[in-house]
Amino acid sequence: MNNTEIVKQSLKRRYAKEKRFQLYGKLAVLTGFVFLALLLLDIVTKAIPAFETTEVQLTIPLDRNSLEIAEDATLDEETLRAINYGGLIKKSLRNMFPEVRKRKDKKELYSLASSGAEFDLRDKIIANPELIGGEPLTLWLKADDDIDTYYKLQKVTSRISEKQIAFVQTLQDNGQIRTSFNTTFFTASDSREPEQAGIRGALLGSFWTLLVTLLLSMPVGIAAAVYLEEFAPKNRFTDFIEININNLAAVPSIVFGLLGLAVFINFFGLPRSAPLVGGLVLSLMTLPTIIISSRAALKSVPPSIKEAALGLGASHMQTVFHHVLPLAMPGILTGAIIGMAQALGETAPLLMIGMVAFIVDVPGGMLDSATVLPVQIYLWSDSPERAFTALTAATILVLLGFLVVMNAIAIYLRKHFERRW
Amino acid sequence: MNDDHAPHISGHISKRFDSELEDIRNKVLSMGGLVETQVKDGIRALMTSDSAVAERVGNDDYKINAMEVEIDEECVQILARRQPAASDLRLLVAILKTITDLERIGDQAEKLGRFELELIDEGSSSKEFVKLEHLGELVSRMLNRALDAFARMDVDVALKTIKKDEKVDKEFESLMRQLITIMMEDPRTIKQALRVSWCARALERIGDHSINICEYVVYLVHGKDVRHIAYDDLKDQIRDIV
Amino acid sequence: MPEDAVNKTPDAMTDFEKIEGTIGENLIHNPKFSTRNVDVFYDEKQAIFNASLDIGHNEVIALIGPSGCGKSTYLRSLNRMNDTIPSCRVTGDLTLDGENIYSKKMDPVLLRARVGMVFQKPNPFPKSIYDNVAYGPRLHGLARNNAEMDEIVITSLQRAGLYEEVKDRLNEPGTGLSGGQQQRLCIARTIAVSPEVILMDEPASALDPIATAIIEELIDELRENYTIAIVTHSMQQAARVSQRTAYFHLGKLVEVGETNQIFTNPRHELTENYITGKFG
Ligand SMILES: Nc1ncnc2c1ncn2[C@@H]1O[C@H](COP(=O)(O)OP(=O)(O)OP(=O)(O)O)[C@@H](O)[C@H]1O
Ligand SMILES: [Mg+2]
Repeated sequence: MNNTEIVKQSLKRRYAKEKRFQLYGKLAVLTGFVFLALLLLDIVTKAIPAFETTEVQLTIPLDRNSLEIAEDATLDEETLRAINYGGLIKKSLRNMFPEVRKRKDKKELYSLASSGAEFDLRDKIIANPELIGGEPLTLWLKADDDIDTYYKLQKVTSRISEKQIAFVQTLQDNGQIRTSFNTTFFTASDSREPEQAGIRGALLGSFWTLLVTLLLSMPVGIAAAVYLEEFAPKNRFTDFIEININNLAAVPSIVFGLLGLAVFINFFGLPRSAPLVGGLVLSLMTLPTIIISSRAALKSVPPSIKEAALGLGASHMQTVFHHVLPLAMPGILTGAIIGMAQALGETAPLLMIGMVAFIVDVPGGMLDSATVLPVQIYLWSDSPERAFTALTAATILVLLGFLVVMNAIAIYLRKHFERRW
Repeated sequence: MNDDHAPHISGHISKRFDSELEDIRNKVLSMGGLVETQVKDGIRALMTSDSAVAERVGNDDYKINAMEVEIDEECVQILARRQPAASDLRLLVAILKTITDLERIGDQAEKLGRFELELIDEGSSSKEFVKLEHLGELVSRMLNRALDAFARMDVDVALKTIKKDEKVDKEFESLMRQLITIMMEDPRTIKQALRVSWCARALERIGDHSINICEYVVYLVHGKDVRHIAYDDLKDQIRDIV
Repeated sequence: MPEDAVNKTPDAMTDFEKIEGTIGENLIHNPKFSTRNVDVFYDEKQAIFNASLDIGHNEVIALIGPSGCGKSTYLRSLNRMNDTIPSCRVTGDLTLDGENIYSKKMDPVLLRARVGMVFQKPNPFPKSIYDNVAYGPRLHGLARNNAEMDEIVITSLQRAGLYEEVKDRLNEPGTGLSGGQQQRLCIARTIAVSPEVILMDEPASALDPIATAIIEELIDELRENYTIAIVTHSMQQAARVSQRTAYFHLGKLVEVGETNQIFTNPRHELTENYITGKFG
């Protein structure tokens, strides 16, 4: 038997082995994909209802008598604010269902409308005082979250009664109930009532926090990386620093939260729950990531380019700033964006510094109390109301959307600015 | 002279280069052997009036020519392919020149054979040529020494051989004087005497070519061109290098 | 004997011992560059042992020797490129026009403007062809206005024999050129700052014979205005372009001489063996 035959015989086995190996690989990838798809599917299906909201058509009488305003009273803001809008809505509901008499039934009837509906009505009237004294106003107001859940999902739960189902049926027959796009989700802040809850506060909280993180960790991280990589003498001390930076990247993020609590809040006395403190803490956390990835990017710049510049008589500093840094920039930016994405999704350290508080106001700056998207998710996932489940999923979707966008920017930057040498 | 100065043909990282050089050198040596035989036979033919030998000398020259062409070709190949430097370069240059001289020596040997045949045709005897015996011996020994020096890259032998040139010149001159005297005494001998002088001339040329070969050996070993230098200066120069 | 020689094979050790000093004309009258008793260390490891070599004005000197013998190390010590390697230490007297280049007074940045370097691998900046050449002059403020800069760039490219090929695409990236063109671009970039000495570390090692020939021709022309030291592994190239040749072996400068002499009749056995391709 000569060599060719020996090889031939083993060939079959080798190919089979290769095929098998490829199969394992494909299976692994497939498994990953299936899990991802399941996860996304679950989130998306859960999230869809949150983007819709149920509204009930009410006819509000606007004559001065019903509004309990004296005929000669001026319609200044104070008067308008004093109007009992809740009563108006109740009255309107009673008018729609005159057969309801019992106190208990009435209560169920009233709960068709959201407790926030009166504020929407108030805002509408204050904005258009000329309506007063005119025709009764027909308008769509938010339904209560339980009604909303029932109507959207057509599922009976313990939180809705037979009576209410009957009311909804009647409304539906008269075309007085509908679903529409849930703008509240994007324009409102947190609320105890799911139909009035939105992510605007958390979104802005995240924005302020990330802004602080970006402004702090990018310059500091890049400067540290450039110094360590290009200028620092290589000795025990810098080795020690290097090891510690690598270790920092592996520290559980909650530790940074504890540190932030101890240093920024307790020692420096910065306000709790503020994006400034959140940003500081997240900076601490992303700094190692940015430093490590920036150093890797700087290291990958071919030394021949450096030598070329030095050989032409550029100083060390000029070499770094004219050639090394620009060439490393795509890598540095990618690292930074990935670090920021990490920061965007971080919850644990922020819990420690009080960004978990229930905050209804939209933060206007870095020192206002705020929460952030992942913390909002955490909060809502804990709430008992069924409608919050959908909100949680929707918020996750929004968060994922931002992460995808950020990563896409990272990829774009790398592809676009990357140059071959 | 110290031996370690002689370049080694072997020792290249490329074994094939070694064997190519060795091969070429062997061919030069066998060409040298052939030339030596031709010269010896030529002289013998003169001394003994042996027409068979004379004829053979005349006919065998083509072998030498063919070898020259062959070796030439191989040298060019090596020059093109290996781009030799230093001692390898000097070896090839020395070989290229040596074979030219060997070929010329071959031509002179052929001449000896041809003259002898012509003389036999004219019914002349070998006696007149007895006078050439000493010169013949001298140059054939020089040729032998030159080839020896080349084979062993022995500068010592080469230098000694170069020194013999003076002797050859003296011998040649005295021969010429004798022949001129003979011709003046008896003009009928002019024809024979001229032939003898041509033969002496051929032998003297063989000596010159042998000396050339010796000079190539010096160049090969020391990288010094010693042509056209008086012998005493030459000796000094060699001493400088060593 | 340095201690690292002890670890070497007996053959290498005897080789190392065989080199007692430099033979040949390593010192010349009125040199441009003069180096005396140069030792170079990488940490504890000595890479150059007591090398003394002069480089003349408008001379092309070829540095040859086996891989790892210290040619690049020696070359890089001439423009203090070794300063960029923290572990590297150079001792000895190195003077350029009589000025000690390792003295405190000598600014390495200025030195490198005077002693330019072309590297083994073409390393154009990932910038346009124009900017590649203009970088050095811009750095040193050699041009007062754009017209002057254009002038410098164009003449440099012309002298490097590249202008005709790239004149229509000066704004395209230098990295888009072929290897030979890139190397000529690097040469143009080096001569744009008008150095006095050009160091070349195997400048044609990655090039085809045509590009190599162009660069060799260029070196020949540059010799009129510059002093050039070139490291090469091609014996033929060293023989073609240089007037003098220096042979390094195991960190020692073994032999220096006229190129003609080195390539026909080297004096040292090690030089002979290296040039003819024999075992050491
Ligand atoms: N940065 C460095 N650190 C430590 N040792 C080095 C360094 N650079 C070179 N050396 C050592 O110094 C010696 C000489 O190296 P050098 O690069 O000068 O050789 P070379 O002659 O240029 O070789 P080549 O022809 O392969 O380029 C080698 O033994 C090498 O291992
Ligand atoms: Mg090198």
